Amino acid sequence: MAASSGFKADLLAAIPGLRAFAMSLAQHADRADDLVQETLVKAWDKQSSFQPGTNLKAWLFTILRNEFYSQMRKRGREVQDSDGLMTARLAVHPSQPGRLDLADFRKALEQLPEDQREAIILIGASGFSYEEAAEICGCAVGTIKSRVSRARNRLQEILDISGEADYGPDAIAAQVMGSSVS
Amino acid sequence: MTGQASGAGGAKPKRQGDSELLGSNSEIGRKLKLYYDELVSDEVPDRFAQLLSQLEETEPTQQKD
Repeated sequence: MAASSGFKADLLAAIPGLRAFAMSLAQHADRADDLVQETLVKAWDKQSSFQPGTNLKAWLFTILRNEFYSQMRKRGREVQDSDGLMTARLAVHPSQPGRLDLADFRKALEQLPEDQREAIILIGASGFSYEEAAEICGCAVGTIKSRVSRARNRLQEILDISGEADYGPDAIAAQVMGSSVS
Repeated sequence: MTGQASGAGGAKPKRQGDSELLGSNSEIGRKLKLYYDELVSDEVPDRFAQLLSQLEETEPTQQKD
C-alpha cells in the first residue's frame, strides 16, 4: 500500500505540469484535461514499468505525448486549428492588461507546428534538458535543438508582426471572446 | 538538490547551457515561462484526485520488486 500511495502522491503532484503541457499541445481545455486523465490511467496501469528514483516527470510527459499523437492519428487530422477559436476557450481574464501579452503569445504558439511547439515548451517551459526532451519526443538531441531554434525564430517573427496593432486575428478573437481586446 | 523528490513534478533546476536560446535575456523565453506558469498555477479540477483514488481502490499497486 505504501508504494501505491507514494506513487499516487507523485502523480498528483505532477498534474499541474501535465495539464500545462497538455494544454500547450491540445489547445483546448477539455481536450487537455481528457489527455491528462488518459495519461493518469495509463501511468497507473504501467506502474510496474516505472523504476522508482528515475525521472517520473519525463516518464509521464512521454505517456501524455504519445497519447496526444495517437489520438491525433485516430482523428485523422491535425489538431492544430488555425482559425484562432481556441484562443477564446483559453482566455481566462482577457480584461487584465498583463494577459493581453499572453493572449498574443498563446496565439503565436498555436501557429507553430506541433513538433516545434512541443520542443520549445519542453525546453523553455517544462524545464527539461535537451537530452530529456529528445527522449520524450523519441528523436535526436540535435533535432530538438533545431526545432527549438526554429520555434523561437518563428515566434519572434509572429510577435513582431502582430506587436501592437489590431490585426485580423486579434479582431476576430475579440469578437469570439465577446469582449474588447483593448 | 532542493530536497524535493526528483519525480514530484516541482520545478527542477535547468542546466544553463540547455536554454541559452531561451535564457532570461530572451523575451520569448520570458513570455514562454509566463504563459506556462499561468497554466501550471491554474486550479486543478477535483476529477483527477478522484480518478486516482478510484484507481487506487480498484487497481491496487502493481509494482513488482
